[in-house]
Amino acid sequence: MPIYNAPLGSIDPKETRRYAGLSIADFDENTIRQACNDMLYIANPRGSWNLYNYDNTTGTVLSEKPFKIYGTKILKHLSHCEKVIILAVTIGDEVEKIIEQSFQDGSYVYALLLDAAATTAVEQAADNLEKNIEPRVASMGYKRIWRFSPGYGDWDINCQPEMLSLSAARAINITCTSSMMLSPRKSVTAIIGLVPKTDEFSPQKPSCSTCSQIDCPSRLK
Amino acid sequence: MINIFDGATGTILQAQGILKTGMCPELLNLQESAAIIKMHKDYITAGSTVIETNTFGASSIKLAHYNLSDKVREINLAAVKNARSAADGKAKIAGSMGPTGRFIEPLGDISFDEVYNVYFTQASILAEGGVDYLLIETCIDLQEMRAALLACKAAAPQIPVICQMSYSEDGRTVTGTDAQTAAITLEAMGASIIGANCSTGPEQLIPIVKTLAQNCRCPISVQPNAGMPHLVDGKTIFPMSPADMGKWAPKLIEAGATFIGGCCGTTPQHIAAVKEAVTGLSIPARTAPSAHLALTSRSKTIFVGSDLPTRLIGERINPTGRKKLGAEIKNGSFLSVKKEAVEQTNAGADILDVNMGVAGIDQVAAMEKAIREVSQIVATPLAIDTSDPASLEAGLKAYPGRALINSVSAEPDRLKYFLPLAKKYGAAILCLPLSDKGLPKTAAARIEILHTIINEAKKHGLKDSDFMLDGLVMTIAADKTAALEVLQALKLYRSEFGYPATMGLSNISFGLPNRPLINSTFFAMCLAAGLDAPIMNPYDESMKNSLLASAAIIGKDPSGQHYSLIYSSQSQENTLPVNTPADTNDIIAAIKHCIITGEKENVAAMVETALKDGHSSNEITEDALTAAMNDVGKSFAAKKIFLPQVMLSAEAMREAFLKIKEVLPAQAVTSKGTVVIATVKGDIHDLGKNIVSALLENNGFNLIDLGKDVDAEEIVRAALENNADIVGLCSLMTTTISQIDDVIAALKKAGSKAQVIVGGAVLTQEYADSAGADAYAQDGVIAVKLAKALLKIS
Repeated sequence: MPIYNAPLGSIDPKETRRYAGLSIADFDENTIRQACNDMLYIANPRGSWNLYNYDNTTGTVLSEKPFKIYGTKILKHLSHCEKVIILAVTIGDEVEKIIEQSFQDGSYVYALLLDAAATTAVEQAADNLEKNIEPRVASMGYKRIWRFSPGYGDWDINCQPEMLSLSAARAINITCTSSMMLSPRKSVTAIIGLVPKTDEFSPQKPSCSTCSQIDCPSRLK
Repeated sequence: MINIFDGATGTILQAQGILKTGMCPELLNLQESAAIIKMHKDYITAGSTVIETNTFGASSIKLAHYNLSDKVREINLAAVKNARSAADGKAKIAGSMGPTGRFIEPLGDISFDEVYNVYFTQASILAEGGVDYLLIETCIDLQEMRAALLACKAAAPQIPVICQMSYSEDGRTVTGTDAQTAAITLEAMGASIIGANCSTGPEQLIPIVKTLAQNCRCPISVQPNAGMPHLVDGKTIFPMSPADMGKWAPKLIEAGATFIGGCCGTTPQHIAAVKEAVTGLSIPARTAPSAHLALTSRSKTIFVGSDLPTRLIGERINPTGRKKLGAEIKNGSFLSVKKEAVEQTNAGADILDVNMGVAGIDQVAAMEKAIREVSQIVATPLAIDTSDPASLEAGLKAYPGRALINSVSAEPDRLKYFLPLAKKYGAAILCLPLSDKGLPKTAAARIEILHTIINEAKKHGLKDSDFMLDGLVMTIAADKTAALEVLQALKLYRSEFGYPATMGLSNISFGLPNRPLINSTFFAMCLAAGLDAPIMNPYDESMKNSLLASAAIIGKDPSGQHYSLIYSSQSQENTLPVNTPADTNDIIAAIKHCIITGEKENVAAMVETALKDGHSSNEITEDALTAAMNDVGKSFAAKKIFLPQVMLSAEAMREAFLKIKEVLPAQAVTSKGTVVIATVKGDIHDLGKNIVSALLENNGFNLIDLGKDVDAEEIVRAALENNADIVGLCSLMTTTISQIDDVIAALKKAGSKAQVIVGGAVLTQEYADSAGADAYAQDGVIAVKLAKALLKIS
């Protein structure tokens, strides 16, 4: 049950802008940077992960209690994988309190940008965790393919309890509500497929252009 | 002399079929001692002069994976015995210790002390077995290396410790430590040999070895993998041939290594090739590392010295005289401490002073927590500011780098307790010219006290690059020569010691008016006299300006280039046109413009003016505020502006409404209707709902916001009690969408006359229709429009 709470370093203002729906808008850069800066001390990034063998013929994670994956996109994505990493990251719940308070104080824009910075932060925390795992993956002769989270494509979020259990997320205080929402709200679980380095298979990153949410404000043009 | 290590252990044992998948490699010390001895002998025959015990994973934590944690002693002793039997006096033995596989808090979930104890136990046994070196290898976390090094030095002070970290291709360990930082931090803590192994092949390790060699005086060791691995038929293969490995060996020696061997994938053939390639090579002379004082964090090194730019020591993480910060720390919250760390760093602080002097708290725990939290979020090196030895040790232990101790005076207790801690944890010290005989009034008296401190520190093993000297500023209101003595002291510090000088400045102006003027003027004088690292408030513009100008004057900013850059760009900024409202003569139009552009700073004053000029609150609300929001809504619908810009307008609206209420409390703005809003049961997302609430409220609706995860019953009760005109329901997820149906049914059953607007990521018009909602809003702007339409408001 490896735990790695990767420091954030800095929060990417460009991604924050995108999550706030401001990719192409003329909006004060300082306000965005302020939210990114503040996120640095508000966030409490934590991460946990485990490595499992994976049977790509049946789409099953070979954990102690095998975990079968359902969903055409995710199964295709993992079709060449021999091993998988299941991870969970969170940036804690302090940010939710501050966003709530900011709305009450009438600082709507700050609240909105802080929420976007928090989304950026949790994705960065996952990136940092992946970076930390990379040498181990490389030393086994594998390469990583893009991480994939429940809720994307047709991979149902009903598997969150299994994802939390397999990533040992209890140790970093992530829980799941009966309606399959992660708490703290700014948390993610994901699976990373490992493919032998010699295998040419390299699936395209699930991108905005292939997503069905065409009205999404964060969609990249 | 060039020392030759051995190569891989696992690779050899796997190839021989002795080590199979799932087996504990270290258990073979007991079960297959003949094979282990043969492997050692093969390496010695190939040319190894130092062989490693087969104990890389023989710590209690690692052996626990195989349920063998009760065999730590047995396995480690057997391993040393095997190595000794093979070496037979022809090779030295290094007791290998790999990482625990867990990260120390706050990076991970294990405590520093726990890791320390694990290494202490293993090192003690290896020492008892008779190893010549203790080798901590493949470490990726500087904090784990620090714990391991301290444990080795405590377990076997007489045995040299080799500290090898693993660097990725970007030149850093995966936890962010660069080779310079590792070299400086580990040498200061007493490592005997510093090096790198694993992760990459020899080519990638050349720059790492160079950097290590340039930044410490210790011998350098290197053990590369046989190239980068790949999988062949399910097996991990390291591709580099012995001949290729041999070709790189002289380049590693040239870079500064004098201990060379191999890691994963290397065999006795690789070692033989390395041996052959380096035999007869002369060892190139090393350049001495920088004589400057260096401080490090986990991922950064900063040098302080008279020929380097002035370094700012940020003083803001200090509860003295700051009641709110003190109260927060007392309550266990470190949010403001972390905020100060980020903001001071952004404001240009090079080093951050951390003081936890809050009365009535556990200062040891507070210091440990503050150091942990701050070092986790900023790369700025830290100064630990305390007079309590226990707090100091807690801070030094928790700090993944080389800290500055603030401060060591000549008072007997400070010398007695602080200096051994500085040596043990490899910290630099800020020497404060104070003794138990009182304050030194003159520069000469300061020098005398500093000699006492430095002599004593050197007896404890500290070196010239470990000292920073404090000017000890006293107030000029009490003594007219106070400032002059400080300036004289700074000059003497340079000529007498040559160590960097520091001090807090603001005491100088105590009791005088316009203190900033005295402070910044004195600051400039001190910089000229030899102040290298002021302890100051990095947000203080007058001090920063003084520093900018002084740097240009005293030649630290050659030809004032940096100064010119800053000030020429500022003067350009000043000439930019100022954004003014369209037509300030028409106050209603001006307010409308302010709302549209979201200029909330100006809008309250304008509303006040408009009210004074006789415009009614109704006119302002309708013709300026509502009209503006209608325009904003249209621009949003046309995708000319985006949500945060709409919210900026809503903030300006809020300011306007607040001002109207303040000026005319009796003449409340008429409500457009009452809205009860909630995120449904089971759903904990409320950003969207909060946005809709804010927009409705600032469009004149009376809002009752029930929050998130709200029961149907509570929504119905609130709707009835408040005689709601509209109920707004939000659901983001497929798993909670059916709650929308339930709430609408419950509202109807209870006889509520409220009209229902629904929204949220997974909702659609079709779903809204089937659930019996009166309207579906895709976003907040549409929600406002729909609410007005449903209530027939123009």
